[in-house]
Amino acid sequence: MDFALTDEQRMFQKMFADFAEKEVKPIGEHTDHEEEPPLEVLQKAAMQGFMGALFPEECSGACLDFVSYVMLLEELAKADITTAMTISVHNGLAGKTILDFGSAEQREKYLEPMAFGEMIGAFALTEPAAGSDAAALESTALRDGGDYVLNGNKIWVSNGGIAGLFVVFAKTDPGAGARGISAFIVERDTPGFKVGRREKTLGLRGLTVTPLYMADCRVPAANLLGEEGKGFKIALQALDVARLSLSAIALGACQRALDEGVAFSIEHIQFGGPIALKQAIQNFVADSAAEIEGLRWLVYHTAWLAAQGEPFSHEAAIAKLLASEAAYRIANRMVQVHGGYGYMKEYAIERIYRDVRALPIIEGANEVLRFVIARDLYDQVGLKIRP
Amino acid sequence: MRIIVPIRQILDPRGFTVSPRHERIFINREEYIINPNDKNALEVALSLKDAGEAEVIVIAGGQARLDDALREAMAMGADAAYLLTDEVLAKTDAAGVAEALARGIEKIGDFDLIVVGQETLDTADAQLGPWLAEYLGVAQVGGVRQASISDGVLRVRRNWGAGYAEVEVALPALLTVASGANKPRYPHGGRIMAAYREWQVITWNSEDLGLTAADLAPLTQGRGRAFPPERTLGERLTGSPQDVAAELVQQLRLRRII
Amino acid sequence: MDFTFPKEYELFRRMVREFAENEVRPLAKKVDAEHRVPFETIKKAAKLGLMGVPFPRKYGGSGAGETGYCILMEELGKVCTSTATVIGAHTGIGAMAIYLDGTEEQKEKYLKPLASGEKIAAFALTEAQAGSDAAAIKTRAVRDGDYYVLNGSKCFITNGDIADIITVMAVTDPSLGARGGVTAFIVEKGFPGFSIGTLENKMGIRGSSTAELIFEDCRVPKENVLGQFGAGFITFMKTLDIGRASLAAACLGGAQAAMEGAMRWAAVRSQFGVPIAQKQSVHFAIADMATEIEALRSLVYRTAWLIDTGQPHVKEAAMCKVYGSEVASRCINRALQIFGGMGYSREFWVERAFRDARIAEIFEGTSEIQRIVIASNLFREMGLRISP
Ligand SMILES: Cc1cc2nc3c(=O)[nH]c(=O)nc-3n(C[C@H](O)[C@H](O)[C@H](O)COP(=O)(O)OP(=O)(O)OC[C@H]3O[C@@H](n4cnc5c(N)ncnc54)[C@H](O)[C@@H]3O)c2cc1C
Ligand SMILES: Cc1cc2nc3c(=O)[nH]c(=O)nc-3n(C[C@H](O)[C@H](O)[C@H](O)COP(=O)(O)OP(=O)(O)OC[C@H]3O[C@@H](n4cnc5c(N)ncnc54)[C@H](O)[C@@H]3O)c2cc1C
Repeated sequence: MDFALTDEQRMFQKMFADFAEKEVKPIGEHTDHEEEPPLEVLQKAAMQGFMGALFPEECSGACLDFVSYVMLLEELAKADITTAMTISVHNGLAGKTILDFGSAEQREKYLEPMAFGEMIGAFALTEPAAGSDAAALESTALRDGGDYVLNGNKIWVSNGGIAGLFVVFAKTDPGAGARGISAFIVERDTPGFKVGRREKTLGLRGLTVTPLYMADCRVPAANLLGEEGKGFKIALQALDVARLSLSAIALGACQRALDEGVAFSIEHIQFGGPIALKQAIQNFVADSAAEIEGLRWLVYHTAWLAAQGEPFSHEAAIAKLLASEAAYRIANRMVQVHGGYGYMKEYAIERIYRDVRALPIIEGANEVLRFVIARDLYDQVGLKIRP
Repeated sequence: MRIIVPIRQILDPRGFTVSPRHERIFINREEYIINPNDKNALEVALSLKDAGEAEVIVIAGGQARLDDALREAMAMGADAAYLLTDEVLAKTDAAGVAEALARGIEKIGDFDLIVVGQETLDTADAQLGPWLAEYLGVAQVGGVRQASISDGVLRVRRNWGAGYAEVEVALPALLTVASGANKPRYPHGGRIMAAYREWQVITWNSEDLGLTAADLAPLTQGRGRAFPPERTLGERLTGSPQDVAAELVQQLRLRRII
Repeated sequence: MDFTFPKEYELFRRMVREFAENEVRPLAKKVDAEHRVPFETIKKAAKLGLMGVPFPRKYGGSGAGETGYCILMEELGKVCTSTATVIGAHTGIGAMAIYLDGTEEQKEKYLKPLASGEKIAAFALTEAQAGSDAAAIKTRAVRDGDYYVLNGSKCFITNGDIADIITVMAVTDPSLGARGGVTAFIVEKGFPGFSIGTLENKMGIRGSSTAELIFEDCRVPKENVLGQFGAGFITFMKTLDIGRASLAAACLGGAQAAMEGAMRWAAVRSQFGVPIAQKQSVHFAIADMATEIEALRSLVYRTAWLIDTGQPHVKEAAMCKVYGSEVASRCINRALQIFGGMGYSREFWVERAFRDARIAEIFEGTSEIQRIVIASNLFREMGLRISP
């Protein structure tokens, strides 16, 4: 048991923190108010290697280990949750999936432009009738000569507004349930592929979440990701990474919320002294700090498992569940610490509160994660439970 | 000028569902509301009151619970309310109520105008207006949408085929107001409180009206209920939009709809 | 003991519900998106006596008491928290102060047009350095002949920019502090030296405006002193106590609407081959909501009854406010979760309800302040004074 970061990880952490503080934090308010994706920051992130964070060097990636990657997302989320989400979807859901399952040609073709930030990645699984029950998706991809022809609609695609590349899930065998699902790499300008109008959301307003419409969209067979019929497995593995990433983002958000609350409570005077002198405020701060401390090591431990190549799916579900709920709870408390100011858009906590509310819903709604966690336990004793 | 508006009550249709399959009416919430069309009639009367000097009197006959309908009508703006009720009146039918209302109106005294909703939402019998006009011997205009008064002449806009006709009527007269003729006003908050706490509903029984149980014996009798046949589910077409459209056209042709 | 509402309240609720459904709901999304006050609704509400529900009819009110007013707030809270806030700040605190402590002349001159909705009221207590600690206000009022001259500024004042008549708390004798040194004034928007500062850009209740008010040698005639000279603090505390019960009623409506909406959604949204309403996660969420809502309803209307029958209600009003605001937030948060991704979309009312709900735990005394009020009342009953 050794909880110390390596020298390299420590160095990285400092570098991430500097970058986040200098480049990302100042744009948070703008990203939210103007509902603009953080494009300039993405370019700067690419220069630092953060857009290919998990890619190997030959693809111009930074080749970060999972612990460092998680620290990157944590620091980014401290600065701006939307930016952290954008980079996480790009690296984790899209990039890592291509890295793990793509052919040599696919990796060569796509990972480098992704690492340079020239091509942003997105991940299109959810459909109107298939949210928590992703296996119920209805989009089809039928083989036609050297192509697949994709038809169907996707919703809630993060980065949809800015992505050049989409990992899209569709059924190559519509009768076969989850085993009929395959994954494809679809480029934005493919004929028959249309990105719809941006979703207006409570928070994460710079994330450009969009629907996708595919009408006889022809994708060369070379863009099949992994094998036919293995799409659902690919999606589940991608979601493991996504849940770990999301827990890191939630952790960063918790920390930022707490920092904002603490700073406010020191400066803000009521009843003749800073409100920090009141036990009600101290209790909010103490409870939040305690939760964060627990979470940090849960998240890092899960990342460490992933870095060791150990299974981490169960832990990632737990980390995402706890961290996303803590993020909401802590942001909620810290709005309270701000009093009336917490309700005003001038204060970062207002935005954080709206941003974090997505976390208990996405990458597996928490109710479904509870099922996943319980299922893993019952599996060990041979009892099958259903969602 | 005195305007009299008869008010009827129905079971709130939002509170029950009719199940043809079970041949039953399921009542989830038994709440009575003013017959919506009578609110249209009241609105016509109240807008005449808004436009000039008029007194609006509401009257209802039948069960004691009509008291609530009359108070609501006062809350909407009526100046006085009469309730004709007792055990006999509670049991009579639409014709009996009409006779009682006619007697009640006579007992109130002079009137210039009677405004009635054309029909009730529940039984949809459109009898009250014609019945009262006949009994009281006044001219009747049906299908009314709007009314205004100038120089003692009542101008009425009424339904006329696909359009409207404007007619002039000498007073006293009776108008039956088309359902949906207007958007009735809401009762006023303060008037709601006053309607229950300050104002009275004057109550007369059959004796006060000079009517006996024999006079009010129902002419009609309920024999049972019948339900329309249950609607069957439509057919669901599936496939590509092109296929579905083609199939739909085909089906419509087969059924000679197009 | 009889827990049924008298008939006038049943009819009143039916009227208000139809008004809320037909006139308020269609605008709820729009006023939030456009960040504007629903003046057209205010006009219609005024015609129905809904701008002065608790006040006696002789002042142009509806005479429906706190109970009637809570019914109004509950029904408005179901469809549009912004509208409830505008009417609430006007009636429940702005005009309420004049009703509670105004002279007959003041009521004639100010309460009447307010109760009838011809004029709009606001209530100005908070300052940049005096939120929870209202006694720390700095706005000063100095006597000058037949006038008082006010200097200072107020922040976060609901309706501040649209109000015609504002009840303002100012320091008249700094040496005396809150008890004796603070006086309430009735200020008309046209008084010289009164102006409006910046408007706030808020998370929610965006269909209500929140303004800064500036007093620069603002001259207020001496007959506009509200209540006893030096007793302004008591006026404001009494007013806020009553406002808290009705605020909780709006929360009650919000919570109820969220639960019903979530149930309707759960019944039609299928995942894993069945409606999500078939899942225990959803059952338990709904059962918890329903239980809390029922407890809140009893608390709110019992407190309204205490107020209407002139009984002590400070502690209960504070309980209403803290419990009501927290129940609403919890229920709306749970409802949003049941909507899944849909709940995060601004196309949908639950997203707005989520933003709107958050304010209730903050304004008119934060939840922490309510807990302090409750505890200090309880300890006082055993003879112990506690400080905030
Ligand atoms: C901001 C945002 C960004 C997103 N980005 C992406 C993206 O990039 N790519 C992508 O593919 N998707 C994305 N999504 C979609 C997201 O993953 C889904 O919203 C999520 O999976 C939930 O699905 P749903 O919205 O259809 O809710 P539903 O599945 O309809 O769930 C509704 C409610 O029912 C509950 N529920 C469902 N099933 C059960 C059960 N068996 N037992 C108990 N409770 C249950 C859920 O927990 C939830 O509370 C995004 C969503 C949002 C809001
Ligand atoms: C949208 C909006 C509308 C408003 N409308 C009005 C209005 O119409 N009129 C008006 O006068 N005001 C209005 N307000 C002001 C509102 O009442 C105050 O914001 C509220 O009283 C809190 O004050 P504050 O914002 O200064 O927070 P603070 O008082 O500074 O509170 C900050 C935090 O410290 C806590 N705290 C403070 N003191 C203590 C203590 N002793 N013990 C424990 N915790 C404590 C608080 O609970 C809170 O969590 C409005 C505010 C908003 C946001």
